[in-house]
Amino acid sequence: MTPASFDYLSPASLEEALGLLKEHGDDAKILAGGQSLIPLMKLRFTSFPYVIDVSRIKELKYIRKEGRKLTIGALTTTAELEESGEVRDEFQIIHDACSNIADPLVRNMGTVGGNLSHGDPGNDLPAVMIALKARFNLQSASGKRSVSAGDYYKDTFTTDASPEEMLVSVEIEIPDGRFGAAYVKHKRRAGDFSVAGVAVAFSLDGSGRLGSAGVGLTSLGPTPLRSAGAEKALEGSKPDGEGVKKAVEAARADSNPSSDFYGSREYKLFVLGKIMEKCVAEAAGRAQKEGSA
Amino acid sequence: MEEELTSTEKLVRGKGVYVDDIRLPGMLHMAVVRSPYARARILSVSGGLNGNELKGGVESVGEGAAAAASETTEPIFGLKSANYAGQPVAAVFADDLYSAQDLMDSVDVEYEPLKPVMSIDEALRAPPIYSSTKSNIMSEKWRGEEFEIADAPLVLEDEFLNRRVATNPIEPRGLVASSEGSRLTIWISTQSVHSIKEGIVGSLNLKPENVRIIQADTGGGFGLKGGMYTEYLIAAYAAMKYKRPVKWVETRREHMMASRPGRGVKGKMKLFADRSGRVLGLKGEVIVEGGAFSGGMGEFASNFIALQCTGPYLIQKAHVRALSVYTNKVPLGPYRGAGRPEAAFFIERMMDKLADELKMDPADVRLLNATTEPFKSPTGLEFDPSRPFIEKALNEFNYRKRVANGNAGIGFFVLVPALQPGETCRIAVRGKKVNVWLGGNSHGQGHDIFIKKLVSDEFGIGEDDIIVERGDTDQLEDGVGAWGSRTAMVGGAAVVSVARKIKDQIEKEFGEYTPEHLLSNEFDVYTFERQKGSLTSLGGNMASVDIDALGTVNVKEIDCYYDVGRALNIDMVRSQIIGGAIQGMGQTLTEEIAYGPDGQLLTGSISDAGVLNAESLPRFNIKLADSYSRLPHGAKGLGEAPTIGVPCALARAIEKVSGRRIRETPVKPELLVGLEG
Ligand SMILES: Cc1cc2nc3c(=O)[nH]c(=O)nc-3n(C[C@H](O)[C@H](O)[C@H](O)COP(=O)(O)OP(=O)(O)OC[C@H]3O[C@@H](n4cnc5c(N)ncnc54)[C@H](O)[C@@H]3O)c2cc1C
Repeated sequence: MTPASFDYLSPASLEEALGLLKEHGDDAKILAGGQSLIPLMKLRFTSFPYVIDVSRIKELKYIRKEGRKLTIGALTTTAELEESGEVRDEFQIIHDACSNIADPLVRNMGTVGGNLSHGDPGNDLPAVMIALKARFNLQSASGKRSVSAGDYYKDTFTTDASPEEMLVSVEIEIPDGRFGAAYVKHKRRAGDFSVAGVAVAFSLDGSGRLGSAGVGLTSLGPTPLRSAGAEKALEGSKPDGEGVKKAVEAARADSNPSSDFYGSREYKLFVLGKIMEKCVAEAAGRAQKEGSA
Repeated sequence: MEEELTSTEKLVRGKGVYVDDIRLPGMLHMAVVRSPYARARILSVSGGLNGNELKGGVESVGEGAAAAASETTEPIFGLKSANYAGQPVAAVFADDLYSAQDLMDSVDVEYEPLKPVMSIDEALRAPPIYSSTKSNIMSEKWRGEEFEIADAPLVLEDEFLNRRVATNPIEPRGLVASSEGSRLTIWISTQSVHSIKEGIVGSLNLKPENVRIIQADTGGGFGLKGGMYTEYLIAAYAAMKYKRPVKWVETRREHMMASRPGRGVKGKMKLFADRSGRVLGLKGEVIVEGGAFSGGMGEFASNFIALQCTGPYLIQKAHVRALSVYTNKVPLGPYRGAGRPEAAFFIERMMDKLADELKMDPADVRLLNATTEPFKSPTGLEFDPSRPFIEKALNEFNYRKRVANGNAGIGFFVLVPALQPGETCRIAVRGKKVNVWLGGNSHGQGHDIFIKKLVSDEFGIGEDDIIVERGDTDQLEDGVGAWGSRTAMVGGAAVVSVARKIKDQIEKEFGEYTPEHLLSNEFDVYTFERQKGSLTSLGGNMASVDIDALGTVNVKEIDCYYDVGRALNIDMVRSQIIGGAIQGMGQTLTEEIAYGPDGQLLTGSISDAGVLNAESLPRFNIKLADSYSRLPHGAKGLGEAPTIGVPCALARAIEKVSGRRIRETPVKPELLVGLEG
């Protein structure tokens, strides 16, 4: 563990952290759980004059559920999210993803904000948030704003947040009525990043047809992806019908994976098809049980 | 008082002292600047310690080595050219590792990148990498005799590839070098202090009496830590130059780039047979991807593989061409099995192909071609009657019943251990304790367990009276090394030989041997127990698998039936087998050191290199043949057996379940779902 030298700053409050971000701008990097940032720093793939460790900011560590609305503080760890009974019972898609991130050691340290803000196309939570049409609340010393998950990812390791902004919380609201969501990840070995991952969320109407749908994809392009094409194909179709095949085709068209250690491009697109079918079926099963995602 | 721990207990309780735990006053930390290009002309190097000052090359020592100095042998630093991504071009030194890594930026190297040669096929086509060679062929030999069978009813041909695999011990390479007066002392993570000494003395032109090598606790080796590396020479030179101790411990990323990996071999096989399934002859070509430099395993592995290409079968005619080629990759090294797994993979894949062609049971094809007498094949492979062994193994596997499920594969092989030239041992008795030094150095296997057992049995004393000492060239004048499935066998024989010499001495002096005479007197006996000829043994594996719709292979069971001679300690034998079997699984399923066409390493971490984790563990059924070798303590070779047999059996199981012919390791899910091949 031999990164290049840096100044270590450890603010105790959000306000202090935002002040430091404003002061140092581009020269500073937020350190949350460190599970993505530290590996890059120790190999000296990246370095920053200032590292702002936000892990002391307790006010950003919470899971709040009000009716069908879930708000997650950015410094909540992925293990805390995984272990939350409310999340497991009522937002199973989040549990699907959290219990599949790396291993318990990484999940104990890694945070929701870090997982969502690293901009790694292989991270599992972004696709889930995209499918759930979550809103990301950003804050800087000069104000607050919110962006939708689908608009947050700009390029590999690049998000819409400016260097002065911090992701402070994530809001998810699921519609009334029958709603189902699931995340399916295919990996080669326990603890691995995915070969591909698919998140699907939708409402079911009285006739068993899909209403508004959300589709997020992991490891299938330079960023976490939203597949608007797959969403469109699913809407109005039956969960076991032609619409799913069309959605697979659309998701493939929206994807652009590269060949690497995890598999060839063709294999990833093949996996996408298989797990998408499984994912839609899983979500549809859950939708039968009213009110859970 | 602190409880006395055996060396094995020390390691599992985190009380080992590895190279990185060693801190000497005034110690410098070394960081190595490496070529980012697989192939480049170097126009200039400045800064740090570089090839303008430290010239010369690595005198290759250790397993499968020879020495020569030319353009094609590895220089200590690349000076005019770089021939693999990761080749050292300079080194920098500082009081701590952070500063040493900062200093890497102070080295300036001007490169002119060239198009690298990145595969065996490319090497055979491309113009030579080196101006002093006519082609990219590093070595060429033939084994067996040329033959023609004009009217063979069946001629089967196929081509196989075992891709390169990193050795990946948990502790990577490392050393601390310290120079005082005319003496150079090196603490190192190694399989052989004597092989390291030979390399340091030879490459740096030092007097043997001025060099002392001491083994630190060693966290795995698998072949990696027997030989000499440029980084060792750089650290030793720097310690003498700066008159300060120098430490170097490689990072995992450096390990992936610059530690010599294993496998990387292609096999082209042509089998002649009759319609009853009897093999009439074998023609083969083995092509080893030797990497950038000659003189090591890469150069010699092809001939060793060719030797074993006939497997445990009565093949009367065989002719095998053994080639090694240059490419712009790190030179090949020995990795657990070191040529044995490749040969077994090639011949066993052909035996399965023959069975399929004739719609026979693969076990029947093997039995039909097995021997009832000791046999020496035309390529030179000697082994015991294989038919009774295979019959017994199939029984132990419950093969006839279990293979009916259709998901099992079998594989048989001859294990050729590194018997020659034998091994050294010294036993010194003083202060009522028996101190033992062995030529080959344990690197995590727990050799102390069998050493204590043998010494305790010979002397009739408690194991508490026995101290197994670490490798130290000042304490033991000569030695070979721990590799090639040899240490329990030849090291054990040396231990027994020295113990018996001491007993003889006691009998002569006191009229009879008693443990009391032993412990109340002083003795100091050293022997190089020489071994000649060969002492091979047979082994067999069965494996069964499931494969899901995405091409993921789940290994359910692995059966082993091995002839290890007398098992000196059954728990150690079992753990050797399980560890080796997991490496065999890794090679077959996921492990690979891969490069892009531009020569850049794609597998930079231990995770990317595909090492398996605990979740992949199958159920093991381990059985041993009832056997006793010609050595005084009855042992035969073991360590490499599972890495040889498991890939054969597993490849067949995957072939059965997927219905797709398996020709390469690792077996990619792409192939299993029908996307390639
Ligand atoms: C071995 C290993 C395996 C892994 N496997 C997986 C996996 O399978 N799936 C998966 O999803 N992840 C995986 N990860 C990544 C892991 O989940 C990380 O925890 C996560 O990507 C980053 O979270 P963190 O809190 O550790 O962030 P850090 O590493 O501290 O930061 C990551 C990046 O996010 C920025 N950042 C952090 N918090 C905020 C914030 N609140 N606002 C704005 N920017 C912020 C940082 O500045 C930095 O750029 C793995 C990690 C390891 C080490």
